[in-house]
Amino acid sequence: MDDLNALYGRMAEAIVSGDAEAAAALARRALAEKLDLPAAIERGFIAGIRRVGELWENGEYFLPELITSAACMKEAMAVLKPALEASAVAGLSRGRIVVGTIEGDIHDIGKNLVASMLAAYGFDVVDLGADVKPDRFIDAAVEARADLIGLSALLTTTMLGQRRVIERLRERGLRDRFKVMVGGAPVSRAWAAEIGADGYGENALAAVALAGELVARGRRPS
Amino acid sequence: MSPTIKVLPDGDDVAAETGEALEAVLARAGVALSLYCGGRGLCGKCFVEIVGGEVAEARDDERVLAARRGLGPRFRLACRLEVAGDLAVRIPPSSILPRMPVLSQGVERSFLLDPAIRKIRLAVPKPELAEPEGLFDLVRARFPQESLTASPDGLRSLVRAWAARGPGDEITVVLHGGRELLTAEPGDTSERAYGLALDLGTTTLVVELVDLISGRLIDSAAGLNAQVKFGADVVSRITAAFGDPARAEELRRVLLDGLTGLIESLRTRAGVDPGDIYEAVVAGNTAMNHLFLGLPVDTLAVAPYFAGFSTLPPVSAAASGLAINPAGKVVVAPNLKSFVGGDISAGLAAVDAVRHPGNFLFVDLGTNGELVLKSGDRFTATSTAAGPAFEGMTIGCGMLALPGAVFKAAASSGEAVAVETIGGAPPRGVCGTGLIDLVALALRRGRLSPQGHILDASKTIPVAEGLALTQRDIREIQLAAAAVKTGVQMLLEAERLDVASLDEVIVAGAFGTYLDLENAMALGLLPRVPMEKIRFVGNSSLAGARAMLLSREERARCEALSGRVGHENLAQGPAFQARFVAALEFKEWS
Repeated sequence: MDDLNALYGRMAEAIVSGDAEAAAALARRALAEKLDLPAAIERGFIAGIRRVGELWENGEYFLPELITSAACMKEAMAVLKPALEASAVAGLSRGRIVVGTIEGDIHDIGKNLVASMLAAYGFDVVDLGADVKPDRFIDAAVEARADLIGLSALLTTTMLGQRRVIERLRERGLRDRFKVMVGGAPVSRAWAAEIGADGYGENALAAVALAGELVARGRRPS
Repeated sequence: MSPTIKVLPDGDDVAAETGEALEAVLARAGVALSLYCGGRGLCGKCFVEIVGGEVAEARDDERVLAARRGLGPRFRLACRLEVAGDLAVRIPPSSILPRMPVLSQGVERSFLLDPAIRKIRLAVPKPELAEPEGLFDLVRARFPQESLTASPDGLRSLVRAWAARGPGDEITVVLHGGRELLTAEPGDTSERAYGLALDLGTTTLVVELVDLISGRLIDSAAGLNAQVKFGADVVSRITAAFGDPARAEELRRVLLDGLTGLIESLRTRAGVDPGDIYEAVVAGNTAMNHLFLGLPVDTLAVAPYFAGFSTLPPVSAAASGLAINPAGKVVVAPNLKSFVGGDISAGLAAVDAVRHPGNFLFVDLGTNGELVLKSGDRFTATSTAAGPAFEGMTIGCGMLALPGAVFKAAASSGEAVAVETIGGAPPRGVCGTGLIDLVALALRRGRLSPQGHILDASKTIPVAEGLALTQRDIREIQLAAAAVKTGVQMLLEAERLDVASLDEVIVAGAFGTYLDLENAMALGLLPRVPMEKIRFVGNSSLAGARAMLLSREERARCEALSGRVGHENLAQGPAFQARFVAALEFKEWS
């Protein structure tokens, strides 16, 4: 067990230090040693990304570190994915989310970061890119049978489009089917409340926490 | 044998043709005479003294002009005098077109005074019953090569001015671009013509009052742009006006009120009548140009972010709302592309970008960092979403460069920091250049990692009593610096130019005045280049507006720029993201 804990520790460390090669090698080792994959992911890699989140929260880590760690996570998961799919491990996905930057806005760094952190934390992410029309968000969410829609905007002018998506959801009678979360530099909690979004994430990590919460809320029988 | 003209005081001999206008001979000799009325013998500004040789008698009207200036019979109009034999002429300094300096710092460059506004005194006697010519036709006949036009208002003022004409049947016509009669005034008012150069900054408005006869800058006045109540940065102004015509009109009103106040104070101090101000050149960023003209900013609000206009013919002063002669003209410096607006085109005009040899980078660090790269003959511009960090907006203890702002910081004994504040007042906050100094110092002292992590246990960077930078502030500075750095890198890359191939880095804007270059390079805000390659040009937007006011050639060259400048859109594409993230590290680069 000590060995296993040490291995998990090294998986976490590979993510924290942003060592993609080590992360991939450890994932291959998990396959070779036929480890319990969900446990390895949760206690190894995910534990690492959580530590990255803490370092971000206390100001030690910034965007480059976050992006590097998320990329490591992606490498490790890519190694594990075929085996996970073959074994049909159900419930591993923490939820499915459609994300994009709103119509009229071409700034997508923030959205990309949110998408990769969500993926790193085990969400299925459908990234629609930037300058996305309201109905495209909705169509994609319907098609992907998503739990969530994530809307990004960098400009005070374009954030108005976030409201439009929610209006379109109502008009199409789909508002209850998806949770909607919003973010971006000019966006605030008050704005989210004003337009009737389900939540606001101040940064990529807050968005991950929020997504988890919203998915849990959505899946709870009401 | 062709006649020879000796030109004094220099003493050069120039060959001439018999029958040639003396003005043309002198022009060939490199003497830039003042041909204000276009060589029509109307203005009396090109008198030269004949000190040797034979000339024909002067006509009556020329003698009247000479007498008005207190000049004796040896003084002749160079535009009227035909060369008949050898001459020796002395050129009085007052007849030479003055050269106007463009910038007070950075660039040694000047242009010849040649404003679009000309005021010309004419004697228009009452037509004879036998030949009842129309008034406008009589005026037009004085400018035979030009097809003079006039609006009904212009004609009305001509008829009225003539009815109230002074002794000697004198009226004064005001021409624009040598083609349009704007207005006319009774008597001789030809020595009174003023213009305005206006810099419409997002934060600050500056107006200069300029004498269009002498080219002299009379006075300038600056004030806060009261639109700041709608938000500090330009995007917040666009947001305020977006889809809301009433609010857009309010933004225009606030801007015009501010300008009116500044113009009023300039006029009062100088004793200038508003009716004697005939032209204004306005330089503002794209959004300011739109708001000033009352144009919707909606197309700037959402992608693909395009302007309502780039170059614009002069607009009527009455329609512009500026408090000058309503018959006058207002010229708006062209918007280049998207957010690269009239402030930048005017700035490029000031540094004479088109004729500038070699490669240069033009950097204007305001709320939006605007960058223009000249590579060979090509111009590429971009704007970076630097955000208002350098204006102190997103920094806990940040502030604009106003009294009490720390604008310089350097190492002092031990771990102490020596700061300088604007106006020497007690430190109240830190402005952009102060932020750069403080970050560079903390890096050198090892209190900050190049990744931007504050290594001190206190998790702050002390500035002065009660002032400190927090981890969050450092992150904001990283984002702003990275936006500029990425912009520069991607422009260079798009043009396949390396830093070593840059002949010059031109830093415009008030920001540049206090910027410590060594520190700016240490953070990577500017690429590492030899110090002698960097030039600060101050408020080049205002300087360019003044050059456009005083020189038609400068104006034409600036307007021609708008068709030549390409645009590089930074925000799109994965390349930008990778570069941007890498640029977050404080590190010098070249």
